[in-house]
Amino acid sequence: MKKFFDNPNGKRPERLDPATRDLARRMLCGENGRYLTETEAVAIDDSAAYAAMSVPQKQLCCVQAVAAKAPIRLIEGEYLVGSATLGAAKHGYTPACLAEKMDDPDYDGRFDWIGTNHVTLGFEKALKIGYKGIRKELLASLETFRAMPESAERNEKIDTLEAMYGCLEAAGLWHERNMKALESRIETSLGPIQRRYKEIYENLRNVPENPPTNFKEALQSLWFMFAFLRLTGNWPGIGRIDKMLGGFLKEDLAAGRITLDEAREYIAHFWIKGAEWCNGDHQEVFGGSGDGQYYQNIILAGLDEEGHDVTNEVTYLVLDVIEELGISDYPVSVRLRPDSDPRLYRRVAEVMKLGGGILAIYNDQLVIDSLVDFGYPVEEARNFTNDGCWEIQIPGATCFRYYSYDLLGILQRDVLKMDEEGPSHLPYKSFDELFAAFSAAGKAYLQTEIIDKTPEMLHLPFNSLFASLLTEGCFTSGRQYWDGGARYLVFAAHPGGMPDTANALLALKKLVYDDKTLTLDELVDILKADWEGYETLRLTMRNKVTYYGNDDDTADAMMVRVYDDFIDSLHSLKSIDGYLNPAGISTFGKQIKWSHSRYATPDGHKAGEYLAHNIDPTPGTDLQGATAVVKSLTKMDLRKLPNGTPLTLRLLPSVVRGADGVEAVESLLRGFVSLGGIFLQFDILDVEALKEAQKNPDEYASLSVRVSGWSARFNTLNKEFQNMIIQSTGQDA
Amino acid sequence: MAEVSNIQRLCTHDGPGIRTTVFLTGCPLQCWWCHNPENRQHRPADQGHRIFYTPGKCVGCGGCQAVCPRGCHQITETDHLYNRERCIGCGRCAEACPTKALEATARTLSVEEILSIIQKDLPFYGEKGGLTLSGGEPTYQAEACFAILEGARALGISTDLETCGYFPASYCERLVGCVSLFLYDIKDTDPERHLQNTGAPLKPILENLRRIDALGGETVLRCILIHGVNDTEEHGRQLAALFRSLQHCRMIEVLPYHSIGASKWSRLGLSSRDDEKYIPSAQVIADFKQQLREAGAIVKD
Repeated sequence: MKKFFDNPNGKRPERLDPATRDLARRMLCGENGRYLTETEAVAIDDSAAYAAMSVPQKQLCCVQAVAAKAPIRLIEGEYLVGSATLGAAKHGYTPACLAEKMDDPDYDGRFDWIGTNHVTLGFEKALKIGYKGIRKELLASLETFRAMPESAERNEKIDTLEAMYGCLEAAGLWHERNMKALESRIETSLGPIQRRYKEIYENLRNVPENPPTNFKEALQSLWFMFAFLRLTGNWPGIGRIDKMLGGFLKEDLAAGRITLDEAREYIAHFWIKGAEWCNGDHQEVFGGSGDGQYYQNIILAGLDEEGHDVTNEVTYLVLDVIEELGISDYPVSVRLRPDSDPRLYRRVAEVMKLGGGILAIYNDQLVIDSLVDFGYPVEEARNFTNDGCWEIQIPGATCFRYYSYDLLGILQRDVLKMDEEGPSHLPYKSFDELFAAFSAAGKAYLQTEIIDKTPEMLHLPFNSLFASLLTEGCFTSGRQYWDGGARYLVFAAHPGGMPDTANALLALKKLVYDDKTLTLDELVDILKADWEGYETLRLTMRNKVTYYGNDDDTADAMMVRVYDDFIDSLHSLKSIDGYLNPAGISTFGKQIKWSHSRYATPDGHKAGEYLAHNIDPTPGTDLQGATAVVKSLTKMDLRKLPNGTPLTLRLLPSVVRGADGVEAVESLLRGFVSLGGIFLQFDILDVEALKEAQKNPDEYASLSVRVSGWSARFNTLNKEFQNMIIQSTGQDA
Repeated sequence: MAEVSNIQRLCTHDGPGIRTTVFLTGCPLQCWWCHNPENRQHRPADQGHRIFYTPGKCVGCGGCQAVCPRGCHQITETDHLYNRERCIGCGRCAEACPTKALEATARTLSVEEILSIIQKDLPFYGEKGGLTLSGGEPTYQAEACFAILEGARALGISTDLETCGYFPASYCERLVGCVSLFLYDIKDTDPERHLQNTGAPLKPILENLRRIDALGGETVLRCILIHGVNDTEEHGRQLAALFRSLQHCRMIEVLPYHSIGASKWSRLGLSSRDDEKYIPSAQVIADFKQQLREAGAIVKD
């Protein structure tokens, strides 16, 4: 019988208390998650009063109802308290609705407010100054507005800020209810169980209202703020946990108040709590794209505002915990630098080697440089985090969205006119003419679909009251996060299918303009007919031409040309005042959706195939192994990509077997950083293991895989996603 | 110029770190278990290259039939017949094949071309990784072998040599001057079995090993373990004694026989003696390693 935490790629260490390990196992099996969110939402009883309220007051009313009525849940054996116990929060709603709507069969129709996600909120500051400090800042802004002459706008802002203030009070109420629940547990328990509850009670007493005085309080405070945000329907990222907690641990260790082993247990419990929504079901969540997608990012290491590397004991303890428990709910990214502690490289390689795609890395300096180039102050750039996957952002000051669009679709429809029926009559006499048309079409798309739509994408009738408490700019502007309150309003442009587009252009150029095998019209007509009758030519183009991803200068030059064109087009367009449109590249699994509307390609793919994932080579075209893929990628100047792009390297376990394997992963990481890569994630799994898991999901309950910017448990992916992963798995050395 | 069957990047088990392994054709040994049978024979470029044929990839397009000057390929309704006896290895069929069902087993590259490919992965080599020259037996193409090793060394790249040790004694000194680490195969320690299974005598191989050791050449002994052939206590004793007698041997690496090479034999139109019965069990491997360790050898995990 396979042991729960066993891993095919290597032995997981056993450092934690067996009780902690057992709790982790139960959490991952969904024992808690299955009934944690049995209650969907709380009721708002006075519908007449609610109807008369302003938008912020309605949102506050929902938050208050949640704080007052959500079930309080304590699990014996836990070290941390605070649970997001309402089902609708898991679906992204503020989980409160009018009493008469509670049983409405239209689930989505029950809820008035969607929460806030895809952002790392300002936990760092909140932890430092406590709710108390936030309240003080909020009141100062409120006073400023109150002192202003009466106007509709002023009144609206005061109303909004008062609602935010109310949220803080609601958070206080929820704290009080948790404290009461702990008191009653203490009264009714004995011995070690009672001692544990007393310790939790002590850790929570002071926080999050006040700044923490030690490591345990700090960890509890961070979790408690996070848990309340989740309970009220938000899925924020957490960010730089080692930067936030390292100082507390250092002081406690020096004073002998805690040992490293004890601190590791606590951090393990933070990870166990992070999996509390895991319900162990094989149900389709997120349209089958897998569980664990609550964007609860963790970022480790990297520079602080002053330029010092923050790597500390917390960094290593987090890696220990991931290595041992393999919990994939927090996507963890490590910011690596050429001069990072060699121990950090080694530990990251050791944990990555176990697979599961839980850990990814950033090239720290490249990202910082890229953000500074884009216009952020260097101190803020150094504090970068992401939106929960990998899209880079300034935490606690950013309102963020992105849009992935199909670049290959633009080539096929707008340039090659493949939507039009009948024989083609295309005007492009040279490849440069064709490319110019492609460039113009791409630019037009950016103007109308990204730049022009930015305001409407970032002004949404969502509930961001509590998120606004942790976002710079909201107090002074008197606006919510989703009402333009954040200091940085960011809508990122993400072309997807760029490798497919470059390959298509490369093959087209060869067939039509270089070798003159076919005219452009003939080729496009063949493609419209899905290569019917031209199978040998299709196979030749598919198999005998070297494409992007093989460290081939000709193929990669086309990729660079397409990339530079996108960057130049975006730079040549002016963002609307007050908004930012950074460049990123992604598909986020949309290549599955796009496959239905894509035509056959000149590089030998038939209509309907799943093509490239983010910026990875088109499946099946990279034949020279992972180092060649990295070389091809880094021929693009990725510093021009302030929103980032992820490279996924899928390796067979045999490549990283043994001690040699750790060294190999480490060398890949170092090479990636030195060559100017931006974000790297690995999946180290073989196709057979995945097929086995597809057949026997129950035996692989904890098997996680990297999907796009997140890891999900394999058995929560639908068949399409599973097959996509299987298909793109297995770049052997 | 060199006849190269393959250049494989991101090799993680052919010496320390990430390595690019260059496989040269030709070998003086003829081990029946050979995993790279395409390299057992060296053909100068003008004599053509042997062709791999993988029937499962053939789509019957007839491209090979159209270009073959000797009529070796016949595509019928149901079959693709490839007459290897008439084949001169011109490689035109492989060029025409759209699915790589037909592939040349080697190509001719200049030393400069090889060195430029090796340099592609410089950013990944770090302090440990680099070039591993393998084969076949790399010294079989002695001129190319030395030119590649010395060229890589001049570029500051680590140079490991995977060798069977069967080469003229006069090579030893020059090799020690340009090789970072010898991955030195000891296929067997029983002279008779060695001759029988590899077609070569053991003695000169051991003599070269001692010469290299005396000259300060660092080695890892790579020892294939074949169940029912050399997984004997006596072989273990002899290997450990050999290890102890060397000054610059880092460790013994036990390589259990596996049958992955078998498909290559059939793709070359050759029959192999491959049989699962030769695969040592996990227990046999563990016991053998344990015996080596107990007898004072350092053994790679």
